[in-house]
Amino acid sequence: MKTKAAGSENRHLPNRLGIKSWVWGGNYTLERYLYTLHRVTGLGLLLYITLHLAMNGFRLGGVESWIDIMEILGMSGFKVGEYLVAAAFIIHALNGGRLILQHLGYTLGKPKPPVYPYVDSLRRRRPIVWAMLALIVALAVYVLIVFVT
Amino acid sequence: MRETRLKILQYITGIGLFFLVGTHLIVSLLSSGEPTSWESVSGRAASAGWLALFIFLLIFGLYHGIHGLRTIIMELSIPKLPAKVLDWTLLVIGLAIFGYAVYIPINAFL
Repeated sequence: MKTKAAGSENRHLPNRLGIKSWVWGGNYTLERYLYTLHRVTGLGLLLYITLHLAMNGFRLGGVESWIDIMEILGMSGFKVGEYLVAAAFIIHALNGGRLILQHLGYTLGKPKPPVYPYVDSLRRRRPIVWAMLALIVALAVYVLIVFVT
Repeated sequence: MRETRLKILQYITGIGLFFLVGTHLIVSLLSSGEPTSWESVSGRAASAGWLALFIFLLIFGLYHGIHGLRTIIMELSIPKLPAKVLDWTLLVIGLAIFGYAVYIPINAFL
């Protein structure tokens, strides 16, 4: 007996590559790697939120318990982790904004006749991606300077 | 249609989180003194505004995170029954985390 994939109802092909497709599945464009980065940063932020909420629980133990946990979190390894969380937030937020605008059609531009050599809407709107990446780098460097100083 | 609604909620919570996390970080870091000191934490815990911000952050963050995780798992073309089990498991986990996490600021506020 065959089992149908949930939500697919014969409309989609099965995802044969699975997680491997995050890294390679053919001739990927820049946006496809941003898709992977969006998921990786999202999972990292989800892990951070879980740890952050668990850490907040130490507040219930009173002032001594709070000071103890803050001493542990003040160590240099955690500071590096804190910076990575900030960088992940910047990447996830800006790329998420780009995805929302794109999904709603605002950044796709007007349709063009299919004249050879064919250029899809993603490639035509590539400057938006470069601008977003430049902003991500600028903000990540700024936050790094704030962390270091 | 159900999936579309869930996705639109994902966008709304994402935009909301951008502003809520931004407010959380900017106000915490710009406040006088060390933001993680017991005095600063207790000061924020006594404020109704901060309590409201924490609860909104929690609702938006949990929905956005858990729905995002569900989207990643569902992309793997899992069969219908495990998908149903996954939906209920994530819902129960989300509600359990919400119950635990919302108790901390409410307890501190009262």
